[in-house]
Amino acid sequence: MYRYDEFDAAFVRERTSQFSDQVHRRIAGDLTEDQFRPLRLMNGLYLQLHAYMLRIAVPYGTLSSKQVRMLAHIARTYDRGYGHFTTRQNIQFNWPKLRDVPEILADLASVEMHAIQTSGNCIRNITTDQFAGAADDEIIDPRPVAEILRQWSSLHPEFSYLPRKFKIAMTGSPNDRAAIRFHDIGLQAARNGAGETGWEVWVGGGLGRTPMIGKLINSFVRHEHLLSYLESIMRVYNRYGRRDNKYKARIKILVHEEGLETIKAQVEQEFAEVRGGRLTLPGEELDRIAAYFAEPAYERLTASVVDVPREKILNPAYGNWLEHNLNAHRQPGYVSVTISLKPVGGAPGDATDTQMEAIADLAERYSFDELRVTHEQNLVLPHVRIADLRAVYDGLVANNMADGNAGLISDIICCPGMDYCALATARSIPIAQELTRKFESEARQRDIGGLKIKISGCINACGHHHVGHIGILGVEKKGGELYQITVGGDATENASVGKILGPGFEAEEVPNAIERLVDAYIARRVSVDEPFIAAFRRLGEAPFKEALYGNA
Amino acid sequence: MEILAGNELLSGAAVYFSPSGEWVENLQAARTFAKEEVEARDTVIATSKRTHRIVGIEIETVTVNDGILVPDRMREKIRAEGPTAPYAHTDRQHLSEDGHVSI
Ligand code: SF4
Repeated sequence: MYRYDEFDAAFVRERTSQFSDQVHRRIAGDLTEDQFRPLRLMNGLYLQLHAYMLRIAVPYGTLSSKQVRMLAHIARTYDRGYGHFTTRQNIQFNWPKLRDVPEILADLASVEMHAIQTSGNCIRNITTDQFAGAADDEIIDPRPVAEILRQWSSLHPEFSYLPRKFKIAMTGSPNDRAAIRFHDIGLQAARNGAGETGWEVWVGGGLGRTPMIGKLINSFVRHEHLLSYLESIMRVYNRYGRRDNKYKARIKILVHEEGLETIKAQVEQEFAEVRGGRLTLPGEELDRIAAYFAEPAYERLTASVVDVPREKILNPAYGNWLEHNLNAHRQPGYVSVTISLKPVGGAPGDATDTQMEAIADLAERYSFDELRVTHEQNLVLPHVRIADLRAVYDGLVANNMADGNAGLISDIICCPGMDYCALATARSIPIAQELTRKFESEARQRDIGGLKIKISGCINACGHHHVGHIGILGVEKKGGELYQITVGGDATENASVGKILGPGFEAEEVPNAIERLVDAYIARRVSVDEPFIAAFRRLGEAPFKEALYGNA
Repeated sequence: MEILAGNELLSGAAVYFSPSGEWVENLQAARTFAKEEVEARDTVIATSKRTHRIVGIEIETVTVNDGILVPDRMREKIRAEGPTAPYAHTDRQHLSEDGHVSI
């Protein structure tokens, strides 16, 4: 993993003491809330419905055991014994007290973590594929470049007051597990005709009020020019992005209104000026950073397969977990393990301090001290020996994290909604809880197969509802809650935005409505091998609309 | 009817302006303002702001049912009670230091 250099460490320390001073001045009444608010937001401290919320950056979703233990310590000491992992691969604490925040930040700094740039109109945490550096389908490990982008975008003086927040996601694999087409900028590793590796650059994707699929602005940017190219995009956005209307300020609107070709020409013009300049990334620098992400000391093992059918007979729960929660590793004899944070009836993405300690122990013993946060609000042990799977599973069982449901209907993405969030128009966690209860049966979940449900408590779409195979959006209606259901969204390389098929539903009607969609799919699928999203694409809206609303 | 809601600075807890001139946790103890009391209401807002202890003051409308104050907005109902999701940590936030905040 990347280690802070002296500059990083000094900066984070300085910022922590600066904020500590600001908190003291605020409490003493020397700063008004109007003066303090932007300062606390710059340090990730929001005020939500019930309390403050501290959002901590997890750069490209990568954590060490030591860091997870510190998060557990914070949860236990200053919060209520749990944390919430988000769709931006960050973690949020929902109950910190203002006086404790400087200490929390100092604790975080001691393990090279912070909450800077987790709010505001700046470049936010860069997210990546959770299997980066491990997946067998990867062209290149995106983490070294993600780290370089982190350094470039941290406190970039020119881009700390953008028209609006800015999110970058990247994947080193052709199978997009990082939803890159729904980010302001998405980067996907690519090879050119000469077999060299570089980056496809997608721009103007996003969710929220106006969901848009990113557009390919450049099909191959070489490593050494990537920073210059991204800086060129940022400059065009910073110059022309709309500051007059918050709802039109994201780059997706600029690209949409001006047209890709216009933006592309402006970016190219800018690029022509900066290309080859100070942002050119020397090969040695990339190598230096890449060294931090060197492969762990894998054992040389012969390729082995996990005998899932056999394990399913011997121990169905274990077999089920093996079937769904493993991802193929590029190193023979190893796999990546998804730790589900989606128990039946739980709040998606929440982990207690005890669970975090247990996960840190498992990572230390079985995954070279490494952990990942997924944008689907689960955790990952990236490098586990196949021979250790049973031990890992048993450790998870002991801590209620052994659900074998990764990618299944109960693996729901869900934002905090109105139970916590000041911007919400409806609750989302209770809907997720009811749905997991409705589809509790493992056999039934297996039969339904891969199906992604995503729930947001308002149009800001932190729960990615637009790209759920089934999406649920909570809205306010006459002082109550109403839920719009969308069908057909997809966050992968086959990106699509879900469609609303008709009027919304009351909360208590939602589980049955979802069940009708599922039943319609099962009745019409070609075989069990045709997933929900493929069946929807083949069949079109009609049968699903009928399932939701009848023939009338 | 209207009430005044806000968050207390140190704990972030939801608080309500009460007839005794303090900001308290209990929504049922909130002072109600009738339509014609706009001036009194706005004076409280201005004075409370000057203490720097109450953040994000909002005017919420409520209906009085058998003497119980029922906020019109779902959001405010949840704010008064704490998260509704049946989960282990759902108690609302409480004032950490003083039990109430005087203006
Ligand atoms: S989608 Fe809305 S309700 Fe959910 S976390 Fe985002 S802003 Fe809050």
